Amino acid sequence: MIRDITIGQYYPGKSLLHKMDPRMKLILTFAIIIVIFLCKNFFSLGIIAVTAVLAAILSRVPLKMILKSLKPIVIILIFTAVLNIFYTQGGDTWFEWKFIKLTEKGVFTAIFTMVRIVSLVTISSLLTYTTTPTMLTDAIERVLSPLKIFKIKVHTLAMMMTLALRFIPTLIEEIDRIMNAQKARGADLETGGIIQRAKALVPIFIPLMVSSFRRAYELAFAMTCRCYTGGEGRTRMKQMKLKIIDFFALVACIAITAGIIVLNHFFEAVI
Amino acid sequence: MSEKLIEFNNVTMFYNDPDEAEANENIVPALLNVDFSVNKGEFVAVLGHNGSGKSTLAKLCNAIYEPSSGTVKVKGIVADNDDKADEIRRIVGMVFQNPDNQIVATIVEDDVAFGPENLGIEPKEIRRRVDDALKAVNMYDFRHREPHKLSGGQKQRVAIAGVLAMQTECIVLDEPTAMLDPMGRQEVMQTVHRMNKEMGITIVLITHFMDEAVKADRVVVMDGGRIVMQGKPREIFSQVEELRSHGLDVPQSTELCNALGLEKSVLNVDECVEEIAKMLGGAR
Amino acid sequence: MNYALETIGLTHYYSKGTPQQVAAISDVNLKIEKGELVGIIGHTGSGKSTLISHFNGLLKPDSGKVLVNGVDIHKDKETLRNTRFKVGLCFQYPEYQLFEETVYKDIAFGPKNMKLSDEEIKERVFKAAAFVGVKKEHLNQSPFDLSGGEKRRVAIAGVMSMEPEILIFDEPAAGLDPRGRKDLIELIKEYRKQTGSTVIVVSHSMEDIACMADRVVVINNSTVAMQGSVDEVFSRSEELRSMGLNVPEITEIFAKLRAKGIDVPANVYTVEQGAEILRRLASGRCAE
Repeated sequence: MIRDITIGQYYPGKSLLHKMDPRMKLILTFAIIIVIFLCKNFFSLGIIAVTAVLAAILSRVPLKMILKSLKPIVIILIFTAVLNIFYTQGGDTWFEWKFIKLTEKGVFTAIFTMVRIVSLVTISSLLTYTTTPTMLTDAIERVLSPLKIFKIKVHTLAMMMTLALRFIPTLIEEIDRIMNAQKARGADLETGGIIQRAKALVPIFIPLMVSSFRRAYELAFAMTCRCYTGGEGRTRMKQMKLKIIDFFALVACIAITAGIIVLNHFFEAVI
Repeated sequence: MSEKLIEFNNVTMFYNDPDEAEANENIVPALLNVDFSVNKGEFVAVLGHNGSGKSTLAKLCNAIYEPSSGTVKVKGIVADNDDKADEIRRIVGMVFQNPDNQIVATIVEDDVAFGPENLGIEPKEIRRRVDDALKAVNMYDFRHREPHKLSGGQKQRVAIAGVLAMQTECIVLDEPTAMLDPMGRQEVMQTVHRMNKEMGITIVLITHFMDEAVKADRVVVMDGGRIVMQGKPREIFSQVEELRSHGLDVPQSTELCNALGLEKSVLNVDECVEEIAKMLGGAR
Repeated sequence: MNYALETIGLTHYYSKGTPQQVAAISDVNLKIEKGELVGIIGHTGSGKSTLISHFNGLLKPDSGKVLVNGVDIHKDKETLRNTRFKVGLCFQYPEYQLFEETVYKDIAFGPKNMKLSDEEIKERVFKAAAFVGVKKEHLNQSPFDLSGGEKRRVAIAGVMSMEPEILIFDEPAAGLDPRGRKDLIELIKEYRKQTGSTVIVVSHSMEDIACMADRVVVINNSTVAMQGSVDEVFSRSEELRSMGLNVPEITEIFAKLRAKGIDVPANVYTVEQGAEILRRLASGRCAE
């Protein structure tokens, strides 16, 4: 049920990917995501797919966990595949029945898009699997810190993200509790039209808001008591240091990008 | 000569605007003319029913609130500006009632590190403090866990570790066991006593569980925003009727001996058994 | 005769169908008679909360049955829906479920869901509010302006106003101070006396259970470990302790007196009772 939702899904481990500097991981993940969209044919996309598979193996995150992260996008995958098959037409026609027409180009595009999405999700979920949420928000803060010159409060943003991650499971439990309490008073959450159902949410939403404000208030006290005064003068227990592995990863990424550009140039584009 | 760590001098505290309070007679102060002090190394239990002002007292100890009148000094420092308030919070740490609402990070050890990080301590030193603090509360094996998957007692011990890592001289605990089950209560209370005995940390424990106050050096009873009783646990607990009039209760051992009209007041089961045996023996 | 509430082989799993599947409760067989006040004790995680969520059909058993007045509550949708009103469930910290603009409306939420007439709703709200001691002038206030103890009373009234045949309290006194605790226990006892309803109280405070329950059910390791009268259960203090539970302090004192060779009964669980016995014993010895 509602409790099964996992967010900030860290998978503890000691793999090379776990050991990488979170900042480098963050930057490289974004770089690869951009590069994924540069791929124009199966050869360049192949490199990405291989990279994703290699990264998954290096992370030692079980296949099952990775498949779990793909589960929510199955519908999107099917939808885009179907859309591509029928809207992109061209090349040989393989199958035709009434208005359904399978063409070479349609199928290729569909496969291409699917591989692209799967690689994208795999690579980005590897980032969250191998990095604790704290390290990740920390890395975001550090990577974005140059934005300070534009008066953007990077530390505050990162702190908000950390707190959100911390309180999501707590609030999910809370919703569960409130729902049960109202159901026990005969609240009907399952039947009726849209308006009726929206109305039925009021008894859940209001207690949730009240308790969230209470939590925020208490949390602010607790943070003040622990001498929190914002980002100024803070140190970090966990230092981020670039290690050899990070440079290897950087070089590998540059090589991948270069390879893709070259392959894009030499082979015919699928899309 | 014992050094005074916390000193309240004629403290009155209104939550509302003082002007508003003047206009409306119904607004009662949360604290009224309170004199109170805590010596270094002492274990003070503050008892009182809900709304007796004990929580306000706690929050004044580390400058969350400013008194409406009177002074609160911590090691001679008065929190009249933010810097001084910060200085006070480096001396007096605080643990709150709801364990969920004081844990900041998504990993246990990161949460314990939060305080020291705010103090700007060197990373290696933080690591050492975090490990020591987690070991002191017996949560070291849980350092990589997510806080929301821990039991209430465990969360509360993490919160205590978070204060320990700041190496404050004093810890104020505001009803730390109110939301815990008996097992969690026991875990937390054992930890608190150990901190006082072994690490010499001054403890101010706010509670309405009488059995938790039994082992304190001093018991302070509050009612209606005033301190109404003060003394050693034995002295306080012998006054069963007066405690009841303040909405409190005594441990069953004490209650039994009191009901039997035994003169000596007892604090725990063993003392009680002994007294009763004596009474029956004497009767023989 | 039918029992007010009966469970037969009640079993519920967490994460069913995954490798992490664990039994939250397994093979629970309980029979609760009409008008009884039953205490359910067990440490956190023993499965007692999961158990009571089955009593009004919030959870569906993976196997086994829950019968209310001899009828399977999962027989059909209609029965299940009516069960919510027949079996009132008051959760831990019920004040966190308050949501309406006024105390009156909040107490009326349950009866309204029962589709009662406005007249009847009004009557029930006044009755429940008066019973828990919520003053009439508070009825038009926002529940959020009340003190913690008053909020709890309003929330309890919100369940009582449905006038359920069985009323279940999960840790009703959690977080209250000694006076609030005592008042609430009296309130529950009074409720049972006045309405004659079946009442089930879940608690880990043995002292509280001892002074109100007729019968005690001990849940341990997801199943019923003991059940019987307060006497029977509390006399097995060693076993209770091995389950991470404590007997009332007074019971412990009497156990220790017995261990010293003093001839006192083992089934003492309130201070009045204990004092009475000891007084008699002392005067008896004087007379000899």
